[in-house]
Amino acid sequence: MEAILEGTPTEEMIRKAVRTGTLSLELVPVFMGSAYKNKGVQPMLDAVTEYLPDPKDIKNTALDLSNAEKEFVLTPDPGAPLTSLAFKLEDGRYGQLTYIRIYQGTMKKGDTIVNSRDGKKVKVGRLVRMHSDEMEDIEEAAAGDIVALFGIDCASGDTFTSPDISVSMSSMHVPEPVISLAILPVDNKAQVNMSKALNRFTKEDPTFRTYVDHETNETIISGMGELHLEVYVERMKREYKAEVQVGQPQVAYRETITQRADFNYTHKKQTGGSGQFGRVAGYMEPMDEGEYEFVDQIVGGAIPREFISSCDKGFQKSLAKGTLAGAPITGVRVAINDGASHAVDSSDVAFQLAAVGAFKEGYHKAAPVILEPIMKVAVEGPSEFQGAVMGSLNQRRGIIVGTVEEANYTSVEAEVPLSEMFGYSTVLRSLTQGKAEFTME
Amino acid sequence: MQKEDLIKKNPLRVLNPLSPESLPDHRMGLIMARAGLGKTAILVQIAMDSMLRDQKVLHVSIGEGLEKAKAWYEDIFKYIAGGFQLENAAGIEDELMRNRMIMTFKESAFSRPKLEERLNDLVYQNIFRPDIVVVDGYDFAEADYDSVMDLKEMTAAMNVQAWFSSLRHRDDNRKSAAGVPAPCHEVDGLFDTVIILQPEKESILLNIIKDEYDGAAGKILNLDPSTMMVKEA
Repeated sequence: MEAILEGTPTEEMIRKAVRTGTLSLELVPVFMGSAYKNKGVQPMLDAVTEYLPDPKDIKNTALDLSNAEKEFVLTPDPGAPLTSLAFKLEDGRYGQLTYIRIYQGTMKKGDTIVNSRDGKKVKVGRLVRMHSDEMEDIEEAAAGDIVALFGIDCASGDTFTSPDISVSMSSMHVPEPVISLAILPVDNKAQVNMSKALNRFTKEDPTFRTYVDHETNETIISGMGELHLEVYVERMKREYKAEVQVGQPQVAYRETITQRADFNYTHKKQTGGSGQFGRVAGYMEPMDEGEYEFVDQIVGGAIPREFISSCDKGFQKSLAKGTLAGAPITGVRVAINDGASHAVDSSDVAFQLAAVGAFKEGYHKAAPVILEPIMKVAVEGPSEFQGAVMGSLNQRRGIIVGTVEEANYTSVEAEVPLSEMFGYSTVLRSLTQGKAEFTME
Repeated sequence: MQKEDLIKKNPLRVLNPLSPESLPDHRMGLIMARAGLGKTAILVQIAMDSMLRDQKVLHVSIGEGLEKAKAWYEDIFKYIAGGFQLENAAGIEDELMRNRMIMTFKESAFSRPKLEERLNDLVYQNIFRPDIVVVDGYDFAEADYDSVMDLKEMTAAMNVQAWFSSLRHRDDNRKSAAGVPAPCHEVDGLFDTVIILQPEKESILLNIIKDEYDGAAGKILNLDPSTMMVKEA
């Protein structure tokens, strides 16, 4: 500052100031150029090295699995034990290509490394540095490098370490899928290819899930949106020649309770031989944050210690399927404060069943409701279509939060139930001559 | 505390008594202050009070973004809910926000015909029928008598109450006969209620210098500068 007032700032001082500002996220240097014409690319890359944080400026942490998952600070030191993260997978001609970033230590060809998720040891075969689609074989890579490995079986987000340490990089945040589709292969061949494809996709993309619904025997794929799933269905067809029929997507509903309710349930069964007996009493109440909490308020051993966890298990079983729509129950705190047992007839199973019965009893009294996912939808388009856009959102039970009007462009923000948003892209296109688009989160 | 008590205890009752016969249908109100004294905070509190009474509020923000306007409502609600220990706050907030819609305009994009068109879009499609419109950031310095009159006619035709905020400048000492300072000194006759914010040592005074209907004229309220909440003087 003084230097500026005196009119003598040096280049070095300015660079330092820009770097400080950039690192504290108060300044955003903007460079202009064209990659196509190769203009301004070098100054931009120079600026990356000059102004952006180098690995030493950033504190990367991992969880120490051998020490109760305590935080463990990684040092970008090539001599330290290896810690690296597989962040991207690609299915290439020679099998799976795994992109990893090395945070600490050095990885050499021929080294043995451990996948900290499953503890499996693997040998580093081919180690390559990627230059877009070309690969350069290298002998070793050190902290700070981004390289790729061949022939390693893993999933996105796995941590690889040297065998002498056991740490795991904090896992990536994976949002829960919001939309599901039922898919049905058209023939046997498609069935085989489909499972190959699904196997591949779930490895590549942690937000894409698949499972078989045992009730309907349907294969369900879940993901982050209509388009997300459409892309995978298309890829199945193109890359894996798996033709599938697609069923109406199912929205993930949840159930929850809205008031506190008491329960007091006795499970009794006597059918010759040893019977079953357990009484569980307490209350359940709504909880704003979190899915489920179990509170043990038993005093004086009304329920013996060894059966407390059976009660918890029983409640958790009940959460899987609500009685209103069969959707999972969330946001419930269950507390037990009384009960009874029998010296011979009480068992783990008896208390689990008692808890299931108690939950059912309390749940009905706790004014259960069905929750449906509400999405934040933003539609942007020319102002002339704003009326039509708002109308279409309103028809879909949306609540319009606000509009932003700029010269000739308007965006509308609304909260709309997900179940109403299927096929909205088509509707919006025809309403606005294809001039508006929407995002949903 | 229950929602009903909150409505009764609101210091803004001076302006908006609960007995409905004394409330004009299309009152025009004006809040004037220098920059940073809390015009928006008061507009939002007037809006929030109406929302609590199940009226629909259209918040028109000129020159500010949607997120900023939303944040004002969230903050003010947080103070109300925390300060008065409101029961079932999350549920009430959910309900309240259904009574509100925000329209933001870039300065250059705002005009009376545009606002009217947007309002008609909302009303004719039965999406949202506002009872009160608060307009934050309208530039009175650039507006002449006719354009403010135009806005008054529009709100009267739509039968909505309207509240405006206006920025005063320190070095402009012009005043109307009724004591309304520039830049609104020439249009003061169009407003039924005028409130001036004046900084005092520890707080900000809300000086109701004009009120045609409820006899609130001459009354003074306080604004707590740390929370921007209105309280009784």
